[in-house]
Amino acid sequence: MTDAGQEHALAVDGLHKEYPMPGGGRLTAADAVSFTVPAGGSLGIVGESGSGKTTVARMLVGLVRPDAGAVRVAGRLRETRTPRGASARLARAREIQMVFQDPYVSLDPRLTSRQCLTTALRLHGRDDSLADGLLDRVGLGARESGARPHGMSGGQRQRLAIARALAVDPKVLVLDEAVAALDVSIQAQILRLLGEIRRDTGVALVFVSHDLAVVRHITDEVLVMRRGIVVEQGPTDGVLAAPDHPYTRRLLASVPRPGWDPAAVVGA
Amino acid sequence: MTAPTLAPVGGPRSRQPLGVRVAGGFLVLVVLAAVLAPFVAPYAPDAIDLSASLVGTSGDHLLGTDSSGQDLLSRVLYGARTSLIAPVLLLGLAALLGVTLGTLAAWRGGWVDTLVSRITDVMYAFPGLLFTVLIIAVFGAGMTTSVLALGLAYTPTVAKYTRSVALAECRKPYIDAYRVQGMGGARICALHLVPNLGRSVVGYLVVLFGEALMSLATLSYLGFGAQPPSSDWGLMVQEGQAAVVQGALLPALVPGVAIALVVVSFNVVGVRAADRLGSGR
Ligand SMILES: Nc1ncnc2c1ncn2[C@@H]1O[C@H](COP(=O)(O)OP(=O)(O)OP(=O)(O)O)[C@@H](O)[C@H]1O
Ligand SMILES: [Mg+2]
Repeated sequence: MTDAGQEHALAVDGLHKEYPMPGGGRLTAADAVSFTVPAGGSLGIVGESGSGKTTVARMLVGLVRPDAGAVRVAGRLRETRTPRGASARLARAREIQMVFQDPYVSLDPRLTSRQCLTTALRLHGRDDSLADGLLDRVGLGARESGARPHGMSGGQRQRLAIARALAVDPKVLVLDEAVAALDVSIQAQILRLLGEIRRDTGVALVFVSHDLAVVRHITDEVLVMRRGIVVEQGPTDGVLAAPDHPYTRRLLASVPRPGWDPAAVVGA
Repeated sequence: MTAPTLAPVGGPRSRQPLGVRVAGGFLVLVVLAAVLAPFVAPYAPDAIDLSASLVGTSGDHLLGTDSSGQDLLSRVLYGARTSLIAPVLLLGLAALLGVTLGTLAAWRGGWVDTLVSRITDVMYAFPGLLFTVLIIAVFGAGMTTSVLALGLAYTPTVAKYTRSVALAECRKPYIDAYRVQGMGGARICALHLVPNLGRSVVGYLVVLFGEALMSLATLSYLGFGAQPPSSDWGLMVQEGQAAVVQGALLPALVPGVAIALVVVSFNVVGVRAADRLGSGR
């Protein structure tokens, strides 16, 4: 923890978000959430529904403005407001990118895969030809390159969403339930792909999931959230093998798919 | 178990209902008539022949003539041109303004949305025809003024509709994805949000088409729109009125029926199109 900031791809300090509740009063969706992720590292955020995982993820990328707290990428503080100027906005985008939960609605229905990528590439002044490499990188072929989202499977769409995030060449990639909408076997493929990408590009991953089995095999560290509060955090293996907090133990006991062991597939 | 259930009607689902096909076929004919009027019309639309005033259907004049002896078939064929082009222009103007305002309101929210919504509400509450006649009173009668005035009168409707579909579209994560990519709001709206509204908005405009045609015909009938010697259908009905007193029905009936058939056809096709385009994909 010495010389913090520089070695961390992502350093989050005291993120806090409250929402007004319909009946009056305020709901704390995230309270004093702090963590760091080293370059090439991978952190999981787990918790039951409504625990504030999405809120944290959206605060990281800047889709939700935190009430308090700071997000630093490679030591640089991110403004909580979206910057006005184009170049500042683009520089900010190159820090953190996001993959959304449902690839059926997170892709522009009008654009083919290749157009989806060239739109992102051009925006960032990069060459169109990089699109082919990106498609290849995520395992999409010539047919998918010219296909629109409705002509692709869920897994293919999520591969494209990952490629779109990589087109910006971010330092940090936030994935909010990125495999939750997919079949189990497709989940394993996507997780393996993410593992490869992390190894090859050194991008840091923040993997939001309610599925502990998924988190176990893609993350080094894990953070357990409950009602906006981080109840436990530490190395994934340690936390999942010997949870300190009773809430984590309950989460572990209710792993949704006991029969599935992604280790067999991902570790292959 | 007690009530007998009707078996669903079989047959290929891609086939359009008979009514839609008939209406669509008729509209194709009308468009062809408008395009080919110079070739299929037996006379010039403004060829006056006082010796053949108010003749009924005959070999020379299939649909008869009006009091000036102008051939009604030729006039109604040429009239299809103004009757179709003017609503297109009018709705084009309403779409340009309405889509811009509606998108702006949905995207910016807050006071921009409040302002746009208030303006559209006020214009909504104001009778469209009254508003139009007011504008015409200021800028003078004529087809151009009518198209501009009705274009403005239809803007709130289009803005309101666009706002509602844009609000739903804005909530889709692909819009968030563009934001996360670092794309500016104006660019997201112009290049990605509005094009994705296109289908729904076009469907809505098709439904409005019949109404727009009717409004224009009404203005011409009242003398605010097309001016003689135009063969605009609304104007023809008005000119034919005097002949009704003299016992000749055709001069008012022919353009009147033309308006009614085209408006009904557009409504039949439009509702179908709105269903298909709005709920598409
Ligand atoms: N825009 C908002 N306005 C009001 N309340 C919100 C808003 N977004 C989230 N919340 C509330 O904040 C809490 C945390 O929501 P969040 O979406 O972050 O949970 P989550 O852990 O991602 O849940 P899930 O697993 O269901 O996706 C919830 O109680 C939610 O109702
Ligand atoms: Mg969530």
